[in-house]
Amino acid sequence: MKITTIALNTFKEAKRDRVLYLLFFFVAVCLIFSRFLALLTVGDRVKIIKDVGLASISLFGMLMAILMGTGLVYKEIDKKTIFTLLAKPIHRVEFLLGKYLGLVLTIFIMTVLMTAVFLLILFLHTFTIDWKILLAILYIFFELCLMTAVALLFSTFSSPILATLFSLAFYLIGHLSWSLEMLIKKVKAGAGRVVLQALYIVLPDLENFNFKTEVVHNLPIPTSLLGISFLYGVVYTAFLLLLAMLVFRRRDFI
Amino acid sequence: MGKVLELEKVYKSYKLGFIPKKKLVLKGISFSINEGEIFGYLGPNGAGKTTTIKCILNLIFPDSGKITIFGEDSLKPRAREKVGFLPENPYFYDYLTGREFLAFYADLLGLHGKAKEDKIGYFLKLVGMERAADLQLRKYSRGMLQRIGLAQALLNDPALVILDEPMGGLDPIGRKEFRDIIVNLKKEGKTVFLSSHILQDIEMICDRVAIILAGEIINQGYLGDLISEKVLYTEIIVAGLPPSEFSRLGESVTSSGDRVLLRVYEQEKVDQVISLVLQKKGKIVSLIPRTETLEDIFVSMVRNQ
Amino acid sequence: MEAKIEATVKNNGEKFLSHQRNLLVVFLIISLLLFSFLKIQTDKVVRKKVPGSSIIYLPSGKHLKYMTFGYSSLIADLIYLWAIQYYGTYEIADRFNYLEHIFSIIAELDPKYVDPYEVGALIAVYEAHDPELAFKILDMGLEKNPDMWIFPFQAGHIAQMNLKDFDLAREYYRKAMEIPGAPPITKRLFAHAAFKTTDYQTSWETWKEVYETAEEDWVKEIALNHLYRIKAAVDTEALTEAVKKFQERFGRLPADLNQLVRAGLIREVPTDLDGQEYLYDPQTGEVTPQRVWWKR
Repeated sequence: MKITTIALNTFKEAKRDRVLYLLFFFVAVCLIFSRFLALLTVGDRVKIIKDVGLASISLFGMLMAILMGTGLVYKEIDKKTIFTLLAKPIHRVEFLLGKYLGLVLTIFIMTVLMTAVFLLILFLHTFTIDWKILLAILYIFFELCLMTAVALLFSTFSSPILATLFSLAFYLIGHLSWSLEMLIKKVKAGAGRVVLQALYIVLPDLENFNFKTEVVHNLPIPTSLLGISFLYGVVYTAFLLLLAMLVFRRRDFI
Repeated sequence: MGKVLELEKVYKSYKLGFIPKKKLVLKGISFSINEGEIFGYLGPNGAGKTTTIKCILNLIFPDSGKITIFGEDSLKPRAREKVGFLPENPYFYDYLTGREFLAFYADLLGLHGKAKEDKIGYFLKLVGMERAADLQLRKYSRGMLQRIGLAQALLNDPALVILDEPMGGLDPIGRKEFRDIIVNLKKEGKTVFLSSHILQDIEMICDRVAIILAGEIINQGYLGDLISEKVLYTEIIVAGLPPSEFSRLGESVTSSGDRVLLRVYEQEKVDQVISLVLQKKGKIVSLIPRTETLEDIFVSMVRNQ
Repeated sequence: MEAKIEATVKNNGEKFLSHQRNLLVVFLIISLLLFSFLKIQTDKVVRKKVPGSSIIYLPSGKHLKYMTFGYSSLIADLIYLWAIQYYGTYEIADRFNYLEHIFSIIAELDPKYVDPYEVGALIAVYEAHDPELAFKILDMGLEKNPDMWIFPFQAGHIAQMNLKDFDLAREYYRKAMEIPGAPPITKRLFAHAAFKTTDYQTSWETWKEVYETAEEDWVKEIALNHLYRIKAAVDTEALTEAVKKFQERFGRLPADLNQLVRAGLIREVPTDLDGQEYLYDPQTGEVTPQRVWWKR
């Protein structure tokens, strides 16, 4: 299938991206550092390692997704490799989907690597394996898939720097959904409130994928939320990709 | 015999600058290509040749007008099934080897297994890239990139091959090889669309041409119709006689050593020169009638605009 | 006829494009509605929150200072702001576990920031019911800011009001008193605390000082009242002591205070500050001043 061909090619290209090595280095540093951080503080050491570890994987995974996603499509257009590709009997949406899947594959591999390092450090410290950690990381991965779609969307119409900034802003907004909720409670009922409520629903809520607190503090994870969050992620990602397709299909490649 | 490619009143404009100013790049382009011919598309740099090609290939969307390829509207991907394209200054994924690069495009075109291997081998041989096939593209010279690019364009056995400035940067041998390949394509029954600003190449191999200038087609037709067979002047190189001998017969262009280069305009004067040389026991080194070339037509057309 | 065919060919391409676009737009709207619905569902699920739990795991202030690259006072502000919210969230039952840790971090990062010491002490006393911690915090404040009289002042208050520990209160008020800029009331509080710890000498001297240096009449009057009280206390104590000795010696209570003089137990019968005699009840042996000291 044409999409898989492009996906595999994208993966081949993405894994050569120097950004990945840099970020992987930083993640390894963070994970090892958390071990020493635990020595300096007052709190429960295992909790700290888990907390810092999960946060690092989330943060650096997000950076990888954004930096790769915004760079890849732009590079194709800038270097004009895209001309011969689109001159073939292929739909532009097939090209876009192929790029997306290739990126997701790359992010998946990187997540697996980071998880391996993390679990190793945890195991050396606690001599047990907490399977709930894997669940938290799985949902971090879903969040990363969504962020990849965001990066791809922005890269279809802006330069890499702008696209990166927009993607980072999207990430921040996604994690501050609760503050919008608090704001709505303080606003008087009326047109303004309705607008804010509509915004609140439409803007992404990335906290739905965040199970760090539950896993670190051994709180129960509501199973209904697992299912709904997953669906939310899938549908929102589809929404973003559809937007990207709508923009990309009519773009002139001068 | 249907039209392979047809453009009808294609307009395209760009919005440039911070305060968008509309710039009209294609101003109603209309032409068509017949099956089995080599069609030359020529014009100076910036005339709109590449823009036209991108409109044909759906890389750019024209403001208005219609483009059909083998009867299919160019907006559908299906139209490009039988089309091969080599862009100007080709650039490809530089970390792939030549073979991997062709394999990637073969996959995109739906070729598998043995058929794929065979095709890749065949085209590598055709463009002379067999030895460099396992070298990374980043190590290719400009000429090598152009060759592997041509191989990619021919992979799906296209009935229409579109080449945008394919011979820029090639050395004379390379250019000859490319010209031979193109002529062979015609022999195989393919149609070739050749866009270039190098007139000599066009003149040598094209059947029909269209000349584009500042976004408009100013002339199109068979090469033979555009260029008359009329002799403009005759160049004669004579040895062993001083230039003063020919002062009333023709213009002496240069003289070096004992050689004199004459430019003679009238036919009778040519015969007079010949008899004079023989009479004075000189030697005619060469005698070449100079006909109108494409360059002459082109230059005069551009001047008229 | 040809024109018609041409037109359909052209329309096919355009139609195809607009069909594709319409399809995409339809899917776009469907996905928008769907994720909105899902979002509302996720809000319905209750999740336990441990707000800012990660901050508990901050390294101690000394280490954190080196990690903040010169923004330590900004970080201190942020942590302080967060702490206020955190301690105001009454649902978190164990929020006081790291109170000392958090406020010592703030103190380390920005020792000159006054509010956190005060507020931290207040939280310690009134919410965590841990006055010792409050003293720790205020001591830290004074150590880093020797010119802030408010810290020992507040500590003295806590000692006096909450613990009724007048020794401690007196110590703190003395410290506060000695810092230039401390308000006059500090001295009075010190004197009062000294009184309460039965260090009448110090108390008397201090109140005398207050009386002499007072600029307003009402302050003079307060000082006088207190002096009266001290004298009354000293005198009644001495008299009560003498009455007891009399009873031991003679087996009965004296009829009046002059008997004590005759018994050689006291040199003379003292009068209160106003020159009034003390009242003596021969039945019970109680000695009381004529006036209530603060109603003079």
